[in-house]
Amino acid sequence: MRGPRWLGILSRCIAAVLGGYLLAALVAIGCALWLGPPRAEAVLVGMLLSFAVHAGAVIWVFAARSARRAWAGLAVPTLALGAALALTGGLP
Amino acid sequence: MIALSLALAYAGFTALSLAMERHHEQAHGHRRIPAGRRRLLRIAGWGLVAASPAPCIALAGWGDGSVLWCGLLTAALLPLALLLAYAPRVVAASAVVALPAAAVAALLGA
Amino acid sequence: MKEGFRQCMAWLHTWSGLLVGWILFAIFLTGTAAYLRPEITTWMRPELHATAAGPAAAQAALDHLQQVAPRSPSWFVNLPDARQPALQVLWREAAAGRRGFANAWLDPATGETLTARETRGGEFFYRFHFQLHYLNVPLARWIVSFCAMMMLVAIISGIVTHRRIFADFFTFRPGKGSRSWIDGHALVAVAALPYHLMITYTGLVTLMLMTMPWGAEKAYGGDRAAFTAEVFGTAPPGRAAGRPAPLTAVAPLLEAATRHWQGGSVGRIAVQHPGDANATILLTRDDAERISSNPQTLLFDGTTGALLASAGDTGGAAAATRGVMYGLHIGRFAGPLLRGLLLLSGLAGTVMVATGCLLWAVKIRQQALKRGRIGFGLRLVEHLNVAAIAGLPVAMAGFFWANRVLPPGLAGRAEWEIHLFFIAWAICLLHPLLRRGRQAWIDQFAAGGLMFALLPVVSLVTTERHLGVTLAAGDWAFAGFEFGLLAIGAALGAIAWRLARRRPAAAVAPQRRQPTARLAAGAAE
Repeated sequence: MRGPRWLGILSRCIAAVLGGYLLAALVAIGCALWLGPPRAEAVLVGMLLSFAVHAGAVIWVFAARSARRAWAGLAVPTLALGAALALTGGLP
Repeated sequence: MIALSLALAYAGFTALSLAMERHHEQAHGHRRIPAGRRRLLRIAGWGLVAASPAPCIALAGWGDGSVLWCGLLTAALLPLALLLAYAPRVVAASAVVALPAAAVAALLGA
Repeated sequence: MKEGFRQCMAWLHTWSGLLVGWILFAIFLTGTAAYLRPEITTWMRPELHATAAGPAAAQAALDHLQQVAPRSPSWFVNLPDARQPALQVLWREAAAGRRGFANAWLDPATGETLTARETRGGEFFYRFHFQLHYLNVPLARWIVSFCAMMMLVAIISGIVTHRRIFADFFTFRPGKGSRSWIDGHALVAVAALPYHLMITYTGLVTLMLMTMPWGAEKAYGGDRAAFTAEVFGTAPPGRAAGRPAPLTAVAPLLEAATRHWQGGSVGRIAVQHPGDANATILLTRDDAERISSNPQTLLFDGTTGALLASAGDTGGAAAATRGVMYGLHIGRFAGPLLRGLLLLSGLAGTVMVATGCLLWAVKIRQQALKRGRIGFGLRLVEHLNVAAIAGLPVAMAGFFWANRVLPPGLAGRAEWEIHLFFIAWAICLLHPLLRRGRQAWIDQFAAGGLMFALLPVVSLVTTERHLGVTLAAGDWAFAGFEFGLLAIGAALGAIAWRLARRRPAAAVAPQRRQPTARLAAGAAE
């Protein structure tokens, strides 16, 4: 970790809270659009799962060896999901 | 019936704890557990804990029964840990008394 | 590498827990109290006596509404049940806006209006538990959701950190300083681990429509109402016809509902456009009868009594899962025994959070004593620990005292009860500035104990429904509640007594305020 220690921690906190939420939200949207029908069921599955995803993301962010790795590990699935959603018309 | 579930879980936990050296020493004053007795305690302990959900589920069904059973595990474990800490000598006796008492209560209640 | 992972998780466990520990403690304790929401409400309205509820109660309620609010666009009736024996009617004021509701309590046998003191009752703890107070409601719910997520992270990282779950399964070693705190913390955590995981995850689920709406937004193109209608099967009410027509008798509808739900009973009646040709009557099943909280409803034509629609009987697996999770969280389905076990588990969670907060302070203080300097951070945490852990019971007792002492006619009485809750808590927040360290703990636990233990006495002086009457009349629910208050008072008093009596083991050390002595508090709880 380069830079002062607190900077790395701050960076990880942002990754965990905002990055983790973004990933969870994308998973929720992905479930809502790709699972089902019925539509309501798919939406609910996404909602119910999203918290496990978020918690898992937080664990990953703080388990990674460096803040950079933490961000990278979060960015890969987020971008992949985002791209897949964009291709299937799930994102504006 | 529920008391029987609780007593089974409590007795099972007690047997499992007495199969552990630390708690065996608390209850009996020495760490060495004869290998045969340890195996017996382990088997009895797991068997009793495995049997403990049966009365709950028989009484309340799978849904409510399993929720009830999880709660009963908590209710069995906490007093046992406190008893081991503060009155370790009565632990074995308490389990031996609890089980038939609960069985009798269940029979009378049924 | 493996060791590194454990250390990371230990760090995460410590900080995720400590950062929101005080709010979590308040959420856990008030949430545990909310399991007794109807009992608390009953105690706080001593004027409403339990009367046998007959099948006529529903008709009596509707007749009453016909008299007092014939022009109201909607009526609601909460039917009495075993835990809340009073009959409540609510109606929307025709003139007022969307939120203008009036309500009254009725005698289920005669339909007469009962007057009771104005109070939020157990509803206050229930609401505080997920939306705090004085704060903007969505903001507060976001805060609570954030804390719940931190709790979930703390539980997972705690399981990883606690490498000897099975070896230490039964272990509690009192009198051994920080070792005992760790034992106690791990014991209450492991003993009710399924509960902790369940209550935290399902807590997140209860607020998920607000915190994670994105899937619904996308799949329904922003039409939230369509989503809720599809999930819960509730259609928005139709319009009034403008032609008057008398409302049908309700008793046959209740019978039809009981047949439809195979013996289930109705908990709530909602009437739209009463007295109009397009009136509808919606019956909702009592949610104490099943785990799932997904409402089962029957919609009837209000003039002919014909069944128009039913909802909630079947549903997809995900909807059922959500319903069961929600139901598990609020625990309305629990009978007396399971409710007791939920209370025990809730208390275990409360103690878990409290010991976690204390554990941090104990460890840091040991390090600080070695270095000979106590930092601001430690002082702050120790101060907040007292105010949160010992102070909240004082505040809750203050709330109950306010209920008994405030004059019945006081304007805004219900709000004042709540103000006094927070005033008492604020005093507890300031008090450790004057009385340092252990003395602050002793003072506040003693004050809380005394306040709880005296509540039955206050009832004796200020109400006509005190232990002398309730015991003689066999009013066990009410008397039992007051014995519960006495028991809480005794427990808090015992903690204070042990703290005061037991001098710290290392009393010879220059530091007189040794945290080890607080061990007694954790053990006694």
